[in-house]
Amino acid sequence: MVRKGPGSAAGRAGAMPGGRALPGAVGALCRAMPPRARLVPEGLRRAKLDRPQATLDFWRLLYALLKQIHGGKWSEADAIDTQIRFVKLALWYQGYGRPELYRLPSDGSAGSRELLLAFSWLLHRISLLEQLLARNRVRTGDETSVCMCEDDLSQSEQGTTEIAPEYGPEDRVDVRYLQWLNGRLRFQWRSLHAQHQEQCKLLHKIHLLTSGSHVDQILGHFSVTEMDLIRQTENYKQLVQLLERETMQLEAFLEWKQLEPVYWQWMETVLDNMAEEGNMCKPQDAHIEKSSLPKVTSCCPWADSLTGQINKLSRDLMALRDQLHELVTHRKSAWEEKPAERRRLISLQRQFPAGPCEPVLLRVRGLGKEATSEMLELGDEAKSLGAHVKDDREGSPRALVVPSNEAVKCQIKIGWEINVTKTHLKGKS
Amino acid sequence: MGFAGWRRRWWRRWAAERSGGGSWSGWRPGAGASCGGECGPEPGRSPRDPPQPPGWGSRGCRERAGGVRQRRVLCVHPPCRDGQDDEQPETEASSKDGCESRPSPKELEELELLNRALEKALRVRKSISKTPLEAQVALAEKPTGEGSAFENASEQQVPVSGRDVPVSREARAVSKKPASMKKPSPYQLRAPYRTDPDVKKTQRRAPARCVSQGPRTAGKSSSKGAVSRQGKSHRPASSASDQGVCAATELQNAPGSSKSALKEQQSSIRDSSGEGNLVAAGRQLIDAGKKSCGSHGESSRKENPTAEGGSTSPRTVTIQQQGCQLKLPHPYRKAYSRNCRAWERSRLCQTSADAAAARKRFTERIQTTFCSPMPALSPVEIEEELKVLQDIPSLLSQYVEAEPADHPTLQREYESLLTLEGLQSTVSQCLRKLQLLQAAVESQKRLHPDCTGDVGSCCPACVPARGRACGGAGTLAVPLLWYSSFQELRDLFALKLQVSMLHQEIALQKLTMTELLPVLESEACPEASAAQLYRAIYTQLCEGGKRFPVLVRDELAD
Repeated sequence: MVRKGPGSAAGRAGAMPGGRALPGAVGALCRAMPPRARLVPEGLRRAKLDRPQATLDFWRLLYALLKQIHGGKWSEADAIDTQIRFVKLALWYQGYGRPELYRLPSDGSAGSRELLLAFSWLLHRISLLEQLLARNRVRTGDETSVCMCEDDLSQSEQGTTEIAPEYGPEDRVDVRYLQWLNGRLRFQWRSLHAQHQEQCKLLHKIHLLTSGSHVDQILGHFSVTEMDLIRQTENYKQLVQLLERETMQLEAFLEWKQLEPVYWQWMETVLDNMAEEGNMCKPQDAHIEKSSLPKVTSCCPWADSLTGQINKLSRDLMALRDQLHELVTHRKSAWEEKPAERRRLISLQRQFPAGPCEPVLLRVRGLGKEATSEMLELGDEAKSLGAHVKDDREGSPRALVVPSNEAVKCQIKIGWEINVTKTHLKGKS
Repeated sequence: MGFAGWRRRWWRRWAAERSGGGSWSGWRPGAGASCGGECGPEPGRSPRDPPQPPGWGSRGCRERAGGVRQRRVLCVHPPCRDGQDDEQPETEASSKDGCESRPSPKELEELELLNRALEKALRVRKSISKTPLEAQVALAEKPTGEGSAFENASEQQVPVSGRDVPVSREARAVSKKPASMKKPSPYQLRAPYRTDPDVKKTQRRAPARCVSQGPRTAGKSSSKGAVSRQGKSHRPASSASDQGVCAATELQNAPGSSKSALKEQQSSIRDSSGEGNLVAAGRQLIDAGKKSCGSHGESSRKENPTAEGGSTSPRTVTIQQQGCQLKLPHPYRKAYSRNCRAWERSRLCQTSADAAAARKRFTERIQTTFCSPMPALSPVEIEEELKVLQDIPSLLSQYVEAEPADHPTLQREYESLLTLEGLQSTVSQCLRKLQLLQAAVESQKRLHPDCTGDVGSCCPACVPARGRACGGAGTLAVPLLWYSSFQELRDLFALKLQVSMLHQEIALQKLTMTELLPVLESEACPEASAAQLYRAIYTQLCEGGKRFPVLVRDELAD
């Protein structure tokens, strides 16, 4: 798969590992890109050599890709500095931290190598290819989203200020206008609901009636698109073409996955080149870097909104914390008032994981004395659990038979140690 | 009229109501709702109104409710086999007992003839690819000749006797059912659609007509206690009725009687298909009817070129009936299967160890060249963490509320205490995390490029977060969403819409709170209208704009 042009050019630029497979990898990468974002192998090669002519194309490429990832609207006619600004912001948003990129001029005159690095970093960091494939997937079926994410209305850009333009700042807003709007809004929701139900009914009809007809056995039935496809086949030639193109894209993706180590090694050589050059230019760049640091950043709306959210959450949590603190202290003091040995037993109990209620023989030894039945005072709780004193062979009530983990519930008289050895009884006692 | 004119009208009305002796009866409970309701459907208003705030109203609705993303919806258990019978008797009250009567031998004979003729038509149709029209027209003559009784009856259908058609049709249903070997199952709808552009043309015209009737009758039949199980039973009814309607209109007969024919057909089919294979019966009925309609269509089209393609309208309907036998066109099928397989392979494809190592090396190297005090979290990560934390306060307070005040046993009390202490530690952990996030925000803000003074430039790019699908990044699998009944699908749609609506309501509530409450505290309104203002604000904020409290002026007699 060695192609003439790029392959030999790459060879001219310097020996690199996997020189044979590289054109294949790069070619596959380019073919796996979505159709609206054109990338050619030649562009990559030129970017490695930091050719200025490649810069504009690379900015445009990154713009197209990042816009697709973030789901915004865009067109190729957007001004280049808008594009550049967007790309820089988006890269910052993803956490790209090379200062050189942010210092690139906004007319797109230089910096293709930086862009190549950023592109490769994105490839790995956000699984660019996979995301693009998933987002641009040709939809032949009926789809719905189950995402419950709330789009924050207060953050939506342009819409909120378009209310009643006839009002000046002096005019008073009639509250009944609000009520009217509210009623209108509710009506719209209701009609939307009705339409959704209607759509749902028709959708179900198609699903139900065409089950068993689809090629794909798992799906089993047609979607609305496919239903229409049957009726008006000629309208859907484009759909077939899109499917085929996507298939080719996927195959290129698979090829890329095979060959990608070569690409990453190649990128490391890019870094090597830069490091070499960097060693030469370092003293010059140092002071430039410092001067670019001071940023006013008093007006960053992103940070402001996040800070607002964080503050609100903190307030809520602190209120909760105070409430909890009060509650816990109250409960704790109530707990402290309970008899000590009961407390100890109950906390002991937590150390024994809950287990089956097998009978357990406890040997109770007094301090040097033999246990008498008075010593072994079984509380009501323990008795209700079936604990009883069993006479040992010698006749002295030394042993307690108790359901296993309830053993710790036995009350003891103050002063006596309980020396508990659990011996599981085999069979009933 | 614009907003100003509307407002004038509103004021006039309000003044009129007010002038009725100072009573407050102008605003009854629910008046607001009714006003809203009646303002809504006014037809001419919506396009001309000043922007109903798009951010609040319809645009917001549309964006949220209409967003479809990456899931497939799939029916897995078409509940067509069980439980039909018990629902049949409930639905249509007007059951016709005619179906129980035995068809006369004469009618049976006619039906036999008809069947044979239609089979022949089927054979001929299959063998002809280029000139279906002439053949069908030729055939149209034959059934008319042979099955004369039936044909004449249906042609002179309504004026002569509206009962003939339904009787014969229902008789056909009954007799066909036991027969059931006449099922024209080899009939494929594929051929006409693909190979014959002429047929397609008429077909396209017809649905425009029949679709309007289709949903109506479908709506009618499905409105009668439509549950998914009944769906199948309704469809033959609706399609037969469609067909009845189409035939009737095509033959230009009185529509009134066709409606009665329609109802009778519906009921007859429903009753007659109570036992046995509903699908088969329906299919037979429709096919036979379709052929007759088809033949009618051809013949009438020959006579009257301007008659709309009623012939193909039953064909549209029979798609519904023959849905299980439909086939996608071949190019699409091929493209689809290849695409499907490619997706499957891509999904299963994993990054090799070499590639993973190479990636890691590159990424680590490039990250060493990043700004030296690199914040721990990128902006996207900060936002994700924050999203996770959003619900925590309310969840935790729910847990706190759930702990009862006193406990039956000491053990429970102890456990409750431990739970509360655990919650305490969780709260402090979250607070610590929030502090970390705040610090990360600050450090990222420092690195934020291009944010020097120009606020406008930040905003569009700061919105990127909103557009992100909240599925996992880079997942190539689109999960299938299976539903097992119509009710589930409906509930899914309804609940999603409700969630969107509630999100919007919450946002609106926050906004109105910040906007309206200051009004109450601020300058004094004229005394007369203060009460109204309070009531309006109360309604908006506390009752969601739905219920209005009644204002009573309590005047103390001196």
